[in-house]
Amino acid sequence: MIDAPIVLVEDRPDDVLLTRRAFARAGFDNELVVLPDGEACMTALFPENGGRSLSPALILLDINLPKIGGLDVLRRIRADERTCHLTVVMLTTSTERRDIVDSYRLGANSFVRKPVSYSEFADTVRILGSYWLAINEPCPPERGRR
Amino acid sequence: MRQRTAVALIVVLISAACVADLALSLAASSGGGRPTSAFAVPLRMEAVLLGCVALAATWAAAHWQAAYTRDRHTLEQAREDADRLLKVIDNTSAVIYLRDSDGRYLLVNRQYEELFAIKRSDIVGLTDHDLFPAALADDFRANDLKALAHGAPIQMEEVAPHADGPHTYITVKYPIADAAGRAYAICGISTDITVLKHAEEEVRQLNTELELRVRDRTAELEASTRELDAFAYSVSHDLRAPLRAVAGFSEVLMEDYAELLDETGRGYLRRVLAATDRMGQLIDDLLGLSRASRVELTRRPADLTELSEAIVAELRAAEPDREPAVRIDVDRGLEAVGDSALLRLVLQNLVGNAWKFTAKTPDARIHIGAVERDGEHTFFVRDNGAGFDMRYRDKLFTPFQRLHTFDEFAGSGIGLAIVGRVVARHGGRVWAEGEPGTGAVFYFTLPVSSQQAVQEGTAP
Repeated sequence: MIDAPIVLVEDRPDDVLLTRRAFARAGFDNELVVLPDGEACMTALFPENGGRSLSPALILLDINLPKIGGLDVLRRIRADERTCHLTVVMLTTSTERRDIVDSYRLGANSFVRKPVSYSEFADTVRILGSYWLAINEPCPPERGRR
Repeated sequence: MRQRTAVALIVVLISAACVADLALSLAASSGGGRPTSAFAVPLRMEAVLLGCVALAATWAAAHWQAAYTRDRHTLEQAREDADRLLKVIDNTSAVIYLRDSDGRYLLVNRQYEELFAIKRSDIVGLTDHDLFPAALADDFRANDLKALAHGAPIQMEEVAPHADGPHTYITVKYPIADAAGRAYAICGISTDITVLKHAEEEVRQLNTELELRVRDRTAELEASTRELDAFAYSVSHDLRAPLRAVAGFSEVLMEDYAELLDETGRGYLRRVLAATDRMGQLIDDLLGLSRASRVELTRRPADLTELSEAIVAELRAAEPDREPAVRIDVDRGLEAVGDSALLRLVLQNLVGNAWKFTAKTPDARIHIGAVERDGEHTFFVRDNGAGFDMRYRDKLFTPFQRLHTFDEFAGSGIGLAIVGRVVARHGGRVWAEGEPGTGAVFYFTLPVSSQQAVQEGTAP
């Protein structure tokens, strides 16, 4: 099990609370770093003045975010050799085809739609966590760099 | 003719001889000579000579008479011809005029006289520069010269001033040549096409207006599509988010705090959860409706038999132990041309409804097939379920209109609106027949090549 933090880029406190509970209930004790918008996510991944950059095991990215949108964040993550290897899962309410297509086109590892039902959502979080944190071997940073 | 003249000549000759003979006899008898018969033969030399002179005189007189008559006749004929031609040119609605090679008027018709209030006799010798503003006269002259140079009829549009404003004429001009082939005049025939011109202008204006209107409408349509797009997007994001919070925290309450509530409290909480579920479904259906309106149509041959069977299989899989059981027949070879993803929505809703509304029907039956109705290939989905009152058939395809209470049959009231929208976008029609307690039939058509459908299909 990877014990690096999980980054949740989400501006709705309700969603944060419910996601946090779902991860806890599913038995993942990774640190959950919550960033309220795309800009905060950029700052955390690419700190200025040589600060320590965040190296999360998983980034859960909403699409509809204040300041810098989720798809833009994804594009920048994939464009930078320091972050292009990171696992990014789009976790969003959108079911718009163009959002799904754009997400995959920009290099998202997965696209997950937040269901209205919480039990369904909890299931989704559990499956997401076990796949990306336990089952799947993440690409080591050196190889991702090329 | 020549024979008759010869006979006449002989008769005249004989008569002249007889007359001369008689005259000579009379002279002789009066002179005391022996009396002679007027028809005494042979005639004397003098008589013959006199006869010849008389004959020559007679012939000369006749010849002169004939020549005179012939000239008179030709003159009259010419006058008649001229008169006839004048009548022809005077009784036409066209303006006709003849000008010499220097532009001086030779002749105009009555229409010309009336239009420009000038007498035929007064215009002779004048030029257009005496009658019209210089620029206009220059134009007319230029056209005259063009016709002269061309040597054959040419056609042009000319504008001449009138009391009620400028009139447009379609004019044919051609040179008139003398026997030696030298063009000495130009004839012009001008027909007033002002009314036609106005009509043409009107049509042009209407077309321009129509174009503008189409452009406006298209812009409006694009704007409303964009709005719908934005609305759908916001529904899918913003409306769902608070709902997810309500549902989420209710479930958390149920999981973590259920024992702190009594049965009534837990009942309320269950109702909250059921309501959020329903609202989630409603939002999804609404998105489906908006998607059915927005998504671009791709027309390809679609196998409705195959689609229907897949849907039936899904319904059976979702409710394998359905009681009472339902018998479903899908006709072979149901072929259409359309967007199969959208047509799937149509069948999903129609077959889904039939499935739903036969849930309480013993010996339930659903039939998916096609018939010819009013010469149109018509697909149908028939069931023997709850049916509906025909009085409310207009409400069927309107969003959020439901003919059954939620407790009887659950639903958002959007399914048939989606059906209506998709069928309309394919240029087809959808309608229903039913009777409460007996069942319902939903019909729809999917025209193969309809202009409307093509336009709809390419709409943004």
